[in-house]
Amino acid sequence: MTCEQLRDSYELYALGLADEPEQTAILEHLGDRCPVCSDGVNHARALNASVLALAPDAAPPARLRRRIMAGIGAEPERQWGWSWVWAAAAAAFAIVAFVYMGQVRETNRQLAYARSELGRTASELTNTAADRSRLEQAIQLLEQPDTEQVSFGGAAAQPPRGRVILNPRRGVLLIAANLPPVAAGRTYEMWLLPKTGGPRPAGLFQSAATGTAIHFLPGAVDRSQIAGVAVSVEPATGSLSPTTTPIIVAKL
Amino acid sequence: MSILLLPILTVIVRSGDDGDLVRRLQERDASAMGDLYDRYGRIAYSVVLRVVRNQAVAEDLVQEAFLRIWTRIHGFDAEKGSLGGWVLTVARNRAVDYLRSLEGRERERTTELARGDEPAVFADFEKDLLNTDRVRLLRGAFEKLNTNQRTVIELAYFEGLSQTEMADKLKQPLGTVKTWVRSALQTLRQELVGAAAV
Repeated sequence: MTCEQLRDSYELYALGLADEPEQTAILEHLGDRCPVCSDGVNHARALNASVLALAPDAAPPARLRRRIMAGIGAEPERQWGWSWVWAAAAAAFAIVAFVYMGQVRETNRQLAYARSELGRTASELTNTAADRSRLEQAIQLLEQPDTEQVSFGGAAAQPPRGRVILNPRRGVLLIAANLPPVAAGRTYEMWLLPKTGGPRPAGLFQSAATGTAIHFLPGAVDRSQIAGVAVSVEPATGSLSPTTTPIIVAKL
Repeated sequence: MSILLLPILTVIVRSGDDGDLVRRLQERDASAMGDLYDRYGRIAYSVVLRVVRNQAVAEDLVQEAFLRIWTRIHGFDAEKGSLGGWVLTVARNRAVDYLRSLEGRERERTTELARGDEPAVFADFEKDLLNTDRVRLLRGAFEKLNTNQRTVIELAYFEGLSQTEMADKLKQPLGTVKTWVRSALQTLRQELVGAAAV
């Protein structure tokens, strides 16, 4: 299909709603770095975001902010805002309410977990294009004359193996295999190892069921200050510095 | 079917200093998460609530969306990306996925990359996607659409229906639905492009 035939499908594609054969055709054009379709899809995403902003205004409850902050470990989640005097006066009611809210919280937690599991499964089933995009980024990095790469994991018995590809203008790409599975609520975190100072966070990623992973940190990197790249297993929200022994250390 | 969109955007969305906010998020500054929520939480909640129409579910989904932003922020380019556009897209996708799972309409073929969940696809965007002037302009364009055009736009953006699914729901020929969608999107597109050219 031609770009002209696809132009009316860019918005639906960006919403994940394009029908066939347009969906596949746009994917192919983007894979071939078609400038018309790339530009068209970018404009479509911008239009889509603006259309979403037309949703009827609704005020979220104050507790939602607390929940989100608690979710990243920033501050404890608080369900009760009563003063102690009022709470004391309503103590009997509070006991009953507390039991009830505990059940509600547990139900919400189970629902959130189930949704998270569904999302993760869907992601595993549909990550082909994302992986393809990352591989394209890897190829772009390899084409640059100032790109360097280093292998890791060759010496150990059953180690994570792979390659770190670094371009000081474009970013750092990690390609890994043999990654051990991580427990629920944990994730891999990549670190840049400066020549001086502690490791710097470089993004979270998960492995595929086969133990492979491709993770890209876009953006310029001061090569003169970077001594290597590491990966450790961290809580799902990430860490400011490694909390476990790195499973990958690649010296550049 | 009487789906009416009431475009009441009362939130002033500031996006001029998103670059600094992104850098703080990438440095794992927890207070930046609070600022992100203060900036985009209300509008994200509005979008999600419009999709799922249930306050408790909307809260869960917005929390998931912001956690997703937190865990993927390192892939976001602070200099070029539209943070607000990305937040809204992630929130909308979470809500539509929830709706589809309830209705047994699992996604097929689509990818997180295509749907804009990946931060990298929000690079090279104009930063003020949610600028109030732009939204006001789009609201005016939306009001120019006829009832059928508005309906299909709402079904696509806020209910996550493909054109085939819309035709089935509206009991209209697929070709008719495609015409409504195409003409509606052309109108919205032209209004924004025309305004940008002035």
